[in-house]
Amino acid sequence: MNYPVWFLPAIGGGTLIAFIAIVHVFVSHFAVGGGAYLIALEKKAYKEESEEMLSITKRFAKFFILLTMVFGSITGVGIWFITALVNPGGISFLIHNFVFGWAAEWVFFVLEIIAAFVYYYTFGKMDRKTHLKIGWIYFISAWMSLFLITGIIDFMLTPGKWLQHHSFWLGFFNPSFFPSVFFRTFMSFLMAGVFGLFVLSFYKNSEAKEKFVKYSSLWVIISIVLMVPFALWYVSVLPVEAKSLVMGKSPEIVRTTKVIITSSIIAFVLGLIVYLKPSLNKAYIAAIIFLAGFFIIGSFEWTREAARRPYVINKVMYSNMIFEKDLPKLQKEGFLKNAKWVSVRNITEENKRLAGKEIFIHQCYACHTIGGFNNDIKEKAKSMSYTALTKYIEKIHKVRYFMPPFAGNEEEAKALAAFIAGDLLGKEIKEVEKAKLDGKTIFEDNCSSCHEPEEFEDLISGWDKAKIRKALDMLEKLNPEMPPYNGTPQEKDTLTEYLFKLSGGVK
Amino acid sequence: MINNLIPNPDTIQVSWIYFQMLLLLTTPIHFLFMNAMFGSAGIATYLHFKGGEKEKKLAHHIAVFLPLVIAFAVNFGVAPLLFAQVLYGQFLYTSSVLMAVFWISIIAILIVGYYLAYYYDFSFEKLGNAGKWVILIAFLLFIVIAYFFTNNMLLMTLPEKFSDWFNNMGGTILASSDKVFLPKYLHDLFGAMAIGGLYVALISQLKRDKDPELAEYGKELGLKVFFWFTIINILFGLWQLLVIPSNIRTGFLGGNGIHSVIFVLALLFIILALVFAWKKNLKMTATFGILTVFFMSFVRDIVRRGYLSPYFKPSDLKVVNEYSPFIFFLIVFVIGFFVAYWMIKKAIEAFN
Repeated sequence: MNYPVWFLPAIGGGTLIAFIAIVHVFVSHFAVGGGAYLIALEKKAYKEESEEMLSITKRFAKFFILLTMVFGSITGVGIWFITALVNPGGISFLIHNFVFGWAAEWVFFVLEIIAAFVYYYTFGKMDRKTHLKIGWIYFISAWMSLFLITGIIDFMLTPGKWLQHHSFWLGFFNPSFFPSVFFRTFMSFLMAGVFGLFVLSFYKNSEAKEKFVKYSSLWVIISIVLMVPFALWYVSVLPVEAKSLVMGKSPEIVRTTKVIITSSIIAFVLGLIVYLKPSLNKAYIAAIIFLAGFFIIGSFEWTREAARRPYVINKVMYSNMIFEKDLPKLQKEGFLKNAKWVSVRNITEENKRLAGKEIFIHQCYACHTIGGFNNDIKEKAKSMSYTALTKYIEKIHKVRYFMPPFAGNEEEAKALAAFIAGDLLGKEIKEVEKAKLDGKTIFEDNCSSCHEPEEFEDLISGWDKAKIRKALDMLEKLNPEMPPYNGTPQEKDTLTEYLFKLSGGVK
Repeated sequence: MINNLIPNPDTIQVSWIYFQMLLLLTTPIHFLFMNAMFGSAGIATYLHFKGGEKEKKLAHHIAVFLPLVIAFAVNFGVAPLLFAQVLYGQFLYTSSVLMAVFWISIIAILIVGYYLAYYYDFSFEKLGNAGKWVILIAFLLFIVIAYFFTNNMLLMTLPEKFSDWFNNMGGTILASSDKVFLPKYLHDLFGAMAIGGLYVALISQLKRDKDPELAEYGKELGLKVFFWFTIINILFGLWQLLVIPSNIRTGFLGGNGIHSVIFVLALLFIILALVFAWKKNLKMTATFGILTVFFMSFVRDIVRRGYLSPYFKPSDLKVVNEYSPFIFFLIVFVIGFFVAYWMIKKAIEAFN
């Protein structure tokens, strides 16, 4: 509401962020762990006085520079660009509150670049001790970048005491900061091992290569083992709502955590096999480990982002850039009266759908596409009528916690419903008089946001009317996810008749 | 209407003056690297197309340094972009969203251009004559990036164009139809070529002992590029001065004491740089050339503030005092400076 929206209805902003972010975190964690990995390889080569090992290390350093300096750093800037385009309100808030964290990170970025270049270009030209020191400066700088960015990223998930005191340090050293830093550190070592095995699989077979394969697989195995306790610690410090999403309330997140666990097991087992028999590090095996690493990190970042829902900054700003503190005012006075970047200020019959579209762009588009593959609103709302949508929009956050509350008044909820049901789904926009409510309408108004009528054939198969009627009085006890139904006794009776019919209507 | 579109800014933690100082310090450093990258790529393209032994050698010398200057141009772009977002975020985020498709495409274009620069460097000999196409494409990509950057930096100062969003929400609005755009774009490109010439003259001096002929050729060509591109650029600068809003122009021409002094100093430095370039005195040309970049970037900042003055001044930003993170940054900065110095010293020792 404060910023314009880059509106690409069929694509959605989230997809764009995910696309750049996932490839960036994959490479940027490698850029951290790879620093330590290079030092370790170089030291090993010195220890064994092996020219061949040293030459492999130098070749790896070249690959490292080409990947991290170009792709890693530019996609890092890319994340900054894309998040500022998709969620300028969120980025602006973070930049203004953590500017000196980012400024310090920039200093480490300078050191990282200088160290990486000096390390690569002076390989074999500098005395060993100083060269290793440069390697260490690289690794420490890269790790400090991780340290600083983690503080800001995890502030978004667990702002902790910042919420009361608004202090930089309380926000930075937030509850999930330390588990996250350790988790990410070991994840970066895992990435080093994963990339190492992958690159080595293309090198000519030699004794030196075999030793390095064995060594790299250790990085994979040990990192996975060490990541586990910090992952558990991480989950344990999540706020109640986020934890419940991760622990089962959000089927999407549960699916993604299964991907993390499965990928970790695959990487661990294959890593172990390669350790025991380094000659098995063929390109296809290394590629599977590589992909497993990609899935671990991608799914982890996705889970962290998803666990924050419905906020972009927990308890501060919703995903749609609306500050939590502004909500009461917007619900009381109306969104359109207070928002920037809208053309409709007062809703009339003529401009109702346009107003709805503007509200959609500012409040829903952050997560919903129109006809796209990601959270398509047309798909999600297809079974709902105009009145059902209106009612659903008003209680959206109560029915689905991970969706932000509707920040507007009743008239605006109707406008939004009119846009979705009318313009997008081509349905009739008609107010239903209360006296004329039939079972189907009551169902659509109250149940269709989560249930399809066909489900009830199985769901309440064999139930008699008395059982259905009783259940309507205690929905929240049947399933904690279900909100109570607050209809009148007469409406409940009408709905009972309708549901009974849906169930097959016998017994 | 315009004020209904300009977003409300967030609060800052220390006085805006510190951010302003950091912005003024880091912007010209970014410009120097960016100009070196752009100009040297242009010169390498010219050399490679021209052909000849010494031309190839100089192009190769430029190629070796090109990936390094790209890295530092990007890296030193981060800091001013950060501080600009703190001071002018509500304008800069908005203009970026308005031209989002082009703005985000910079990332992809830069990755390709950067890899081409590495390809040009690492495979220079192997590429042979085909190398001229590689560097030409990289150079053209840099011209495109400059086009988008100039657009965004101008669009952020034109809130009266923000309402175009209502007719185009897809992120393809540009400011190139504005009368200031063309002189500004040309001024940026020619300035970058000129400083790039200076940079080529400077890095050629690294070959003074091993290949004095190459060092001399690089110096001569670099200074020539600097001289002629600067002469033309003065015309573009004048053109820009004539088309910018009159309140900003009069400020430079005596209307505002400080603005006029900075503008006159910038002009003075460029005249001195030109004189020394004519006399082939590289050291003095470089000194005054660099000073010009610094002062012209101050002039640029004054122009931006002039554009935005009807709507906003950085001093309007609300401060919620918290100085300790600033001190933390300064400490990191000082330590970083010494560590960087030590590494560069060790690298030079290793090469000698």
